[in-house]
Amino acid sequence: MPSSSTIRPAMGVLAQSCKSAARTAAAPARTPSQLSPYLQTAHLSTSVSLFKRHKYLGARDTKDHSKKRGESAIRGTGTRWRLSMSDEPLPKPVPKDQLPKVETDKNHGLWDFFYDRQTVAQSPEKDAAHGRAWLVEELRHKSFEDLHRLWWVCVKERNRIATATWERNKSELGFGDAEGKARDYQVRLTMRGIKHVLTERFYAWEDAVKLAETDPEVDFSGEGAPYTPSQFLEEELAEEELAEEEPKPEEPKLEGQRPEEPKPEATTQEIEPAPKPEDIPGDKVKI
Amino acid sequence: MQPTTRLLAQGSMRYRKLRLTTKDVNKGFYKGTGTGNVGEHTKHGGFSINWKKVRTYVCPSLEGFKLTPFVTKNVKPVHGQYEDKLGPKSPRLYLERWKAENGLD
Repeated sequence: MPSSSTIRPAMGVLAQSCKSAARTAAAPARTPSQLSPYLQTAHLSTSVSLFKRHKYLGARDTKDHSKKRGESAIRGTGTRWRLSMSDEPLPKPVPKDQLPKVETDKNHGLWDFFYDRQTVAQSPEKDAAHGRAWLVEELRHKSFEDLHRLWWVCVKERNRIATATWERNKSELGFGDAEGKARDYQVRLTMRGIKHVLTERFYAWEDAVKLAETDPEVDFSGEGAPYTPSQFLEEELAEEELAEEEPKPEEPKLEGQRPEEPKPEATTQEIEPAPKPEDIPGDKVKI
Repeated sequence: MQPTTRLLAQGSMRYRKLRLTTKDVNKGFYKGTGTGNVGEHTKHGGFSINWKKVRTYVCPSLEGFKLTPFVTKNVKPVHGQYEDKLGPKSPRLYLERWKAENGLD
């Protein structure tokens, strides 16, 4: 069978249409095709596509017979010969400014990676406006839950600093790397302190458990209370408090008589020292 | 590990002390990447993950948490005062505090 390249396309179409005509002798009535009103084609005919010009206007056969002469993707010339999808309405790219706006969640968690939503990094002045790291002594008074949450606050802050550094370098925003590094160092010192406190607390607990095994007041067997104080000081303290409270409400009723108790306090002019941080349990201390 | 003698030829000592990477040497040389071990290699060439070894990161809710990684510079560093010589590492003080705060529920 001769290949389509040797015979002219028009001849090939005619040959195929003759073949089809021979086969479908009892085919339904032919109708004028969209190609030409004078050309009648059968139902489901492919003559329309076959009769289309094989090459575009302006394409001439050059001496070197190169089929891709003049084609340029850079200059957007299009193809020289008709392709299967040449007549299909291909979508054209929408200009960037006409693209539909992407809807974003204002409260998305990923926004926490940015100092500023427009310019990821913040100015060096704002970056430098930070305090000092937490001291280990200050962290010792914090509960585990507080330390846990503070750790993750530090992690998020370091992520923010790293994102800002990356963006500053990528977009060439300018200076600010040194301030970011100094800020990061302080955050890392705080994290170091948290780790130190937790480790120290664990070791102290281990040693305390060991010590408690020799303590008569403590019972770790599981039966009964773990701690039974030898001296019930709470009852004694309660009795003392009750004794003090009784005369106090009577004192203001007396006129012109100074009560004995506040007198020495007024003359000595001593201010009681504020309770030391270690005396206040738990996370009540706010720094 | 020593490189091939060929590389030591002509007095070139450049390759005498090579810092090997994970890609060097066919067998016998293993160099990790610091990511840790999470399972075992099977005899068929696969790898079975031991989920007890796999890392999990637990982030608590930071709702209403006011502490920041920084402390104001106006607060001067103050050393803690402890009755014990060991200070915060003292088990005696730890035990006493436990008795006072947590001993009797």
